[in-house]
Amino acid sequence: MPKLTIDGKEVEFQPGQTIIQAAATVGIDIPHFCWHPKLSVSGNCRVCLVEIEKMPKLAISCATQAAEGMVVHTNSEKTLAARKAVMEFILINHPLDCPVCDEAGECKLQEYTYKHSIGESRFTEEKQHKEKRVPLGPHVMFDGERCISCSRCIRFCTEVAGDTQLTFVQRGDRVTINTFPGKELDNPYSMNVTDICPVGALTSRDFRFNSRVWDLSATNSICQGCSKGCNIQLWVKANKVLRLTPRHNQEVNSFWMCDEGRLNTFKNINAENRINGPHLKRNGGFTRVSWDEAFSAAISELKGFSREEIAYIGSGFATVEDNYMLAKLAKTVSGTKYIDAVPHLVPGSGDAILRTEDKTPNMLGATLTGMQGGKSIEQILQLVSEHKIRALYVIDEDLVSNYPQFAEAIKKLDLLIVHAVNENATTQIAHIVLPSASYAEKHGTMVNIDGRIQRIRPAVTTIDADRTLDGLSLSRLDKFGTEYDRWGRSDKIDARPTWKIILGILSAFGQRSKITMADELFHEIAENVPAFRGINYDTIGEQGVVLNINKTTSVYGEKL
Amino acid sequence: MERIVLPEIENLHNIDVYIANNGFAAARKALLMSPDDIIDVVKKSGLRGRGGAAFSTGLKWSFMPKSTDKPKYLCINGDESEPGSFKDRQIFEFNPHQLIEGIIITCYAIQAKSAYLYIRGEYHKWVNLMETALETAYARGFVGEEMKKTFNTDFSCNIYIHKGAGAYICGEESSLMNSIEGKRGYPRVKPPFPAQNGLWGNPTTINNVETITNIPPIINKGWEWFSAIGEPKHPGTILFGVSGHVNKPGVYELPSGTLLTDVIYNYAGGVPGNKKIKCVIPGGSSMPPLRGDQLEGIKMDAESLRAAGSAIGTGGIMVMDEDTDLVKVLARIAKFYYHESCGQCTPCREGTGWMLKLLNRIVNGEGSQRDIDLLLSVANNIEGNTVCALGEAAAWPVKFMLMRFRDEFEARVSPHINLEPKNKVHSMRHTVNPIDKVEI
Ligand SMILES: Cc1cc2nc3c(=O)[nH]c(=O)nc-3n(C[C@H](O)[C@H](O)[C@H](O)COP(=O)(O)O)c2cc1C
Ligand code: SF4
Ligand code: SF4
Ligand code: SF4
Repeated sequence: MPKLTIDGKEVEFQPGQTIIQAAATVGIDIPHFCWHPKLSVSGNCRVCLVEIEKMPKLAISCATQAAEGMVVHTNSEKTLAARKAVMEFILINHPLDCPVCDEAGECKLQEYTYKHSIGESRFTEEKQHKEKRVPLGPHVMFDGERCISCSRCIRFCTEVAGDTQLTFVQRGDRVTINTFPGKELDNPYSMNVTDICPVGALTSRDFRFNSRVWDLSATNSICQGCSKGCNIQLWVKANKVLRLTPRHNQEVNSFWMCDEGRLNTFKNINAENRINGPHLKRNGGFTRVSWDEAFSAAISELKGFSREEIAYIGSGFATVEDNYMLAKLAKTVSGTKYIDAVPHLVPGSGDAILRTEDKTPNMLGATLTGMQGGKSIEQILQLVSEHKIRALYVIDEDLVSNYPQFAEAIKKLDLLIVHAVNENATTQIAHIVLPSASYAEKHGTMVNIDGRIQRIRPAVTTIDADRTLDGLSLSRLDKFGTEYDRWGRSDKIDARPTWKIILGILSAFGQRSKITMADELFHEIAENVPAFRGINYDTIGEQGVVLNINKTTSVYGEKL
Repeated sequence: MERIVLPEIENLHNIDVYIANNGFAAARKALLMSPDDIIDVVKKSGLRGRGGAAFSTGLKWSFMPKSTDKPKYLCINGDESEPGSFKDRQIFEFNPHQLIEGIIITCYAIQAKSAYLYIRGEYHKWVNLMETALETAYARGFVGEEMKKTFNTDFSCNIYIHKGAGAYICGEESSLMNSIEGKRGYPRVKPPFPAQNGLWGNPTTINNVETITNIPPIINKGWEWFSAIGEPKHPGTILFGVSGHVNKPGVYELPSGTLLTDVIYNYAGGVPGNKKIKCVIPGGSSMPPLRGDQLEGIKMDAESLRAAGSAIGTGGIMVMDEDTDLVKVLARIAKFYYHESCGQCTPCREGTGWMLKLLNRIVNGEGSQRDIDLLLSVANNIEGNTVCALGEAAAWPVKFMLMRFRDEFEARVSPHINLEPKNKVHSMRHTVNPIDKVEI
């Protein structure tokens, strides 16, 4: 491979790589605002200017291709002088309103100002004023004065979202961002611009002013919005999820996620209608009971139905671990063949970017652990309506809302046991309601549409905290805030992961297990389910691994 | 002295007059030559671009890739928006067919089937004149499909007139291409250069109107003839647009290397009231100004002007007499570049406004000594750090005015004003950690 020298270091590069890319391979971070690895090069911010020996002028490292024998200085006197000059220029008209800016704490401009600027302005003139608080679309707010005209947002819309909705208008220091006449910034990926905007010019209308970002903890997880399984981070303060952001995974979602996933997959975690503690239906109303009471009630009821009279309903919203345990329960206690998960296909809701039509994050994982890919669910419900099946055990699905045509039949069941995060139409008619931990409260794995198994992690604590494998990440305030601080006393829900609830029922059935943690359970799964052989939580890691599965494994009767 | 670009022929804009004066003979001759031979002739003629940078025209043409399936394009730059520059419009008005003939020959030489003639938006009158001329040339079969019959050849090309929308920056060649493509007039980052990646990503050559108008005479009379005119390193005639404090402002076609003082005194009639000259900008507003006492012996060609500390630019000579307020002049020039900066890249977008604000303060008598140094520092920080040459165009006048007329500025600032920055607060703390990870 050809080599160039950057700051005295010999660096190998692929032909065609630019200096900034070659430098990144050896951990040299050349400051940049407008350059983004997944967008075209615009070369406009000029912060990445570097000195190249034998070149008369400084060159921008984002657009200059590395060449054999090239000698680059990213910290020479000339380079530093130019960098400081550019930083000064960027800041002269910037409002410097970090104290009231949502981006503060994760702002590239703020960070570079600390690292690369002289710290004093020689600018004594009136700053240029521009429009502030402009809603560009349903989810994104724009502040013209903070914008540094890097064009990342424009390029994102055109190049990634495939919808040219933003443009620069005006000239010189009057340049600002606008939508085209009659257009809004409303593409399905619009909120990614808030992540890539290097300043606080584009902010999420959903999250704005909800928290300073340094008061939040970030936990790596997987989006629950569809079977793409975009890698995300859950941002938590005072035990509440306040926002989701995409996490880089080149094999899955690159740097992006869709607005639907970002906005609509976490609000139920903090919702009022969380189910808190196990409940039994008595005299037409629900009574909160202890877990042990709930376990023995469940097992004694379950034992009263023959294999032909009971069915178990798994879920693509539940983890591999949860579905595996459900299958185990069905086999051990009832020996029934009636077991399947509920399909959630929304035709036309997918695209060629990220979104898929399967709205569950783990249908493939559920199928690999014993569900039937939704193929027999209608048959099961038919038998329910014929009153041949008289008992249902449902995890994490609102069967009544999903199958209104069977609502009446389901109501007539002799036994309905439901695991649920939030109250819903099905929990209302259940006989036993078991509070399951949401995806933000437990460890587990999910298999995405491409057969990649990925991990979710607890970001929020429940009373029965899923004992942490690699440490629950707590925000500074969650850790050190006193009980007199608002954030020091957080409400905790009494809920448990579905797999753990089933462990409790099996234990009441007399089948005790040594397993207490999700990774131990996964160990058992890996031994019993061929698709997971040889895999463990460590090998899955942050980016997941692709399962070696028979590609004809059927989800919804389709070939993979 | 023979005039090449604007010959002294009555009604030359009339196609019949043009034909009667040997019009389209060069095209006829060129179409029988090989494209490479034409490029060779233009190279040997020594013709250098008249759009500002004085780059060898033949060499530029030779950059066009030979073996490519992509369409090739020619753009003719008639955006002419540099203050002090008003010579291309003379060609549109008085010799449009020689320009058209030059375009045809150039298209053939670089094997382009389409040429875009980009004319400054404010030039309504000249757009109309040029459109009429082009329609006539089409009607007479000199352009388009018909030219195959007229010239008995299998080459043909089309010429499209594209009207600008009032932005100086669209005269910058890559911005001009974006503008033709219907995009915002933002200059492109180079490389890639237009010959590799130009109009719609295809090989493209961009030349100034005057440059192209020189082509037919070179083909007709040969490179030896042309290269013998004026200064050998920058041969031919140049259209000098003389403005400001002269008795006879106007466009003068003179051999390159003519003395600047001759242009001013012999052709442009000298300075009204016989006043002394304080300052001359020799090549359009973005070129470094010269002091009145520097002018003796300066020849008007690229090399001589460079040696004298300025540049030929577009040959727009702006003369300022001894009573001129240069602080105001510079503020006015700075206002122009502030107004015209496209705003794409940081140093020019922010720096042009800053320089203007400083200059306005000095003009208003509110400036301090510190402002002069600051002004110079801002100009230096723009220069060389931008996407396109508008950065230099904005910085040079400031830098060289301050270098050559600093006394005028010092006389205008008060020793008593010494503003400390009001917002001295984007403070830096030294981080202990070196940049340890690569962030996005
Ligand atoms: C800001 C800016 C404005 C320019 N305006 C013009 C113009 O109006 N006309 C022109 O011919 N060249 C202009 N140029 C120069 C062109 O970029 C280009 O160099 C020229 O058209 C090439 O033609 P030539 O080789 O025939 O000189 C401008 C350059 C810059 C940086
Ligand atoms: S809004 Fe943000 S991303 Fe868009 S150009 Fe301005 S600074 Fe860049
Ligand atoms: S594409 Fe699917 S997984 Fe990705 S963010 Fe959207 S809903 Fe979530
Ligand atoms: S130098 Fe000025 S005109 Fe040229 S690209 Fe940068 S901002 Fe635009």
